[in-house]
Amino acid sequence: MKKQLSKTAFYAFMLISVAITLFPFIWMISTSFKPPDEIFTKHPSLFPSRFTLDGYRQLFAAVSMWTHLFNSVIYAVFVTILSVLFNSMAAYAFAKLRFPGREKLFALLLVTMMVPGQVTMLPVFLILKSMGLLNTYAGLIIPGSAAVFAIFMIRQFMAEIPEEILEAARIDGLSEFSIFWRIILPLCRPIIATLAVFSFIGAWNDFLWPLIIMLREDKYTLPVALASANGQYNTDWAFLMAGAVVVVIPAVLIFLLAQKHYIKGIAAGAVKG
Amino acid sequence: MKAFGMAFRVATLILCFSAAGAQAGERITVWAMGAEGKLIRQAADLFESRNPGVRVITQSIPWTGAHEKLVTAVIGDMAPDISQMGTTWMPEFKAMGAIEPLTGLVKGSTIKPGDFFPGALESNFSGGEWYGIPWYVDTRVLFYRSDLAKKAGYDAPPEDWEGFYRFSKALLAAKESGYSLSLPTNDWQIFLMFYWQSGGELLQGGEPLTPGSFERTVAYLKRFFDEKLSPLEGGREMDLLTAFESGHFPAFISGPWMISQLETSKPGLNGRWATARLPGGERRASFMGGCNLVMFRNSGNKPLAWKFMEFLSTPEMQARWYEISGDLPANRKAWNAASLAGNKKLSPFRKELETAKAPPQIPEWESVAAAIDDAVEEALYGKTEPSAAREKLSADIAGILKKSERTQSAAFKIAVSILLCLLPVTAVFLYLRKKGGDAEKKRVQYAAFLFIMPAMAVLTVFLFIPILGSFTASMTNWNMYGINDFGKVAFIGLENYSALFSDRIFLAGLRNTLVFAFIGVPLGIFVSLSLAIALNAQILRFKAFFRVSYFIPVITTMVAVAIIWRWLYNPEFGIFNMLLSSLGLPAQNWLSNKWLALPSLIVMAVWKGFGYNTMIFLAALQSIPESLYESIDIDGASWSQKFWYITLPMLRNTFFFITVTTTIGYLQFFAEPYIMTGGGPMNATMSVVLHMYRHGFKFYNLGYASAMAYALFAVVFVFTFLQFRVQKRKEEAA
Repeated sequence: MKKQLSKTAFYAFMLISVAITLFPFIWMISTSFKPPDEIFTKHPSLFPSRFTLDGYRQLFAAVSMWTHLFNSVIYAVFVTILSVLFNSMAAYAFAKLRFPGREKLFALLLVTMMVPGQVTMLPVFLILKSMGLLNTYAGLIIPGSAAVFAIFMIRQFMAEIPEEILEAARIDGLSEFSIFWRIILPLCRPIIATLAVFSFIGAWNDFLWPLIIMLREDKYTLPVALASANGQYNTDWAFLMAGAVVVVIPAVLIFLLAQKHYIKGIAAGAVKG
Repeated sequence: MKAFGMAFRVATLILCFSAAGAQAGERITVWAMGAEGKLIRQAADLFESRNPGVRVITQSIPWTGAHEKLVTAVIGDMAPDISQMGTTWMPEFKAMGAIEPLTGLVKGSTIKPGDFFPGALESNFSGGEWYGIPWYVDTRVLFYRSDLAKKAGYDAPPEDWEGFYRFSKALLAAKESGYSLSLPTNDWQIFLMFYWQSGGELLQGGEPLTPGSFERTVAYLKRFFDEKLSPLEGGREMDLLTAFESGHFPAFISGPWMISQLETSKPGLNGRWATARLPGGERRASFMGGCNLVMFRNSGNKPLAWKFMEFLSTPEMQARWYEISGDLPANRKAWNAASLAGNKKLSPFRKELETAKAPPQIPEWESVAAAIDDAVEEALYGKTEPSAAREKLSADIAGILKKSERTQSAAFKIAVSILLCLLPVTAVFLYLRKKGGDAEKKRVQYAAFLFIMPAMAVLTVFLFIPILGSFTASMTNWNMYGINDFGKVAFIGLENYSALFSDRIFLAGLRNTLVFAFIGVPLGIFVSLSLAIALNAQILRFKAFFRVSYFIPVITTMVAVAIIWRWLYNPEFGIFNMLLSSLGLPAQNWLSNKWLALPSLIVMAVWKGFGYNTMIFLAALQSIPESLYESIDIDGASWSQKFWYITLPMLRNTFFFITVTTTIGYLQFFAEPYIMTGGGPMNATMSVVLHMYRHGFKFYNLGYASAMAYALFAVVFVFTFLQFRVQKRKEEAA
């Protein structure tokens, strides 16, 4: 009986917290289907009383969706792949391979994390200009392919992996790269999935960087293209929210895909074996 | 990738040459902002049909980020032939040397400058040269509820200051609650209109401000706040359209775009509102806004570019553009068109446009405007006497405009730059230098080198070198004059850093940032960890659903988040005030009360960001071996014992990571005040990074902004260092 009660309380808590996090999201979706006179009222309803697709119709008429979707996918997918690869490799070296100056170099990396990103934006732009990489996918993607935050996150996770596993593998004669690829990475699935999601969403929602790097309109990513269809003062909310919905759907899908890798006890099983 | 880019460039070159050779196939590129960038296609199509063989490539630039995009396009040699440009941006781009002077072209043209509204010409003409031509204009008028005015005994608002004040009082008396007028306290445009009306001038005859006029304007406006005709707090989070409908604000001052917004989103109000001219003091004056067309210096086809600019400013095309976009014509002759002349709601605009004024043409205008906002807000709150506020503001403006004409030889600058870069590099080298006696295996070292190589290469080029660069910049006077011409940049030693100590806004920002981190970090971590543990609970079903739900705030775009939170915090009908009133407590101005604004933003930031840390905690919780819990289960351990003796120690590494990164993140607090409050009220939510961003990307004081970044860096460094010490002590104890 007591157990039943605490279970009910637990679910009640979970549902309330979910209501708080989902509310703006649901409002965003519902607004995208509302006619203009229903959007800002004293007592907004959660569901439109007159359902309309006008927001979406205008959106698809104003923006060549497939071109920008393609650009966004290229940007987000390449950043994600490179970021997972580069950062987890570096994290492995910082967590498990002994080399002179390792701790100091790592501390130095952490120090750079404390410089606000806004001040390096213009210098990075000038460097890309001198390399002739403005207005290219390479210029868009490469600066985001390594991040101290990511190296730090994965290194902390890898540090928990017992040393014995590596020793055993080394005795078996595995190269460092196969140890990394076949033993360490599978053990780190949850955190790698987390990093992949963070990288993807970071690039997917990015606005200012793709805007200043890409010159031509047909190279715009989706958030840039959507923003460029808005007026300075006139805001068409249904249109704006339809755009937000279109942008958020792939992000949710990626997250759903990634969270499957949160499987209980992978590392635990490996330790036992 | 690069080969492809090369091939593409070669192909374009060939295309250009062959086109030029054939005489036909001339082309120009035109940038315009937002919706106008899409609609200008219609004008371009018309132009193309009248000029066979000509191509006009139009491109839309988002309004958010348009300024940054134009500046970087100039620096990156990617500017178009023609661009739309905000009237207040003109002097900056002139200072950068990016805009082509048009004097010769204007002289030989069919365009008569006298056809345009005088206020619209001001921003295009300076130092005897033409730099652009007006494209469209806007100005501010009064929007009022005609039904409520009638109830108060007025057919139309009086057109003088005293009468307007009495009208506002009558309007308030004629209804039960709310106010009579929405009058933002920190909007320099609103202030300037009244200041101009009272005979005030800006930067004329060697005086930054006109004594007397400034005081009169403050005293006049202050009456509206003191007598509750307009709220000192609570104007910002209010949804204006809904407040206009409910009668909470039966009048407000705004621009032409409001006509169509009211017509489409509040159709029920049609026939119950009207527009009117602003009241006149010693003279009439409204604010002249709108946009110009400019030609960039590097345009490859200036004759054609000019032809298109001329085309857009003919009366015929100006009237047509109003039909396409709703933008008001800058050319007076276009106003004879039936669609404009016959519109009653537009006639107050037409009259105000004749006398509307534009702010002075100086590149530092954005900084001056921010200083005006600051000084006026303080005076309206009654914190400073009007005359003291004027003297202080005059001094501030003089300080902003003071130019340090320092010339330094290129060799000197290169030498100092190298020395400044060498400083941190040497420090790093000394710090990293090898202490002999490594017994490590060569093979492992070699592997380690290969493993860190890719990330380190990217970080070196795109993080370490930029950091060195911006550190060097923090010792210079790098600003908009030098942004595209390093010859105008000079080293000024530690002046930027010493200026920080007397920068009131920076100090306020530092204090707010620390408060934000001290409350936000523990709160955020507590929420993330609790929810991660809940997500990890064995009894929980539909785990995927709950995980996605918690991550949704992270992926929902800030635009949607900002609207909904503004609505939650709305003083008139927001949920928080509904809760308070159901408890019998008074309503609060969540975002505009200087004590509540920062806590309100903290709550919002925690809500938006906790999902990140929840996912990291969850990933770490997943890897705690079940066997550890099983062994303690046998001993009959309680839930809290499991948490303290197994979960928390096993999360040590993750916990440390999250504390460090969250602290760094919260000390770089930016997005919430940027979108929600702009740093107000009275700088109560100003953060260091927001102040830095304004200096870096709005005022283009890049040297000063960099100095701010490194001052913040020093603060963050101290905190992180302390966290490391604690962690180390814990590890030693363990």
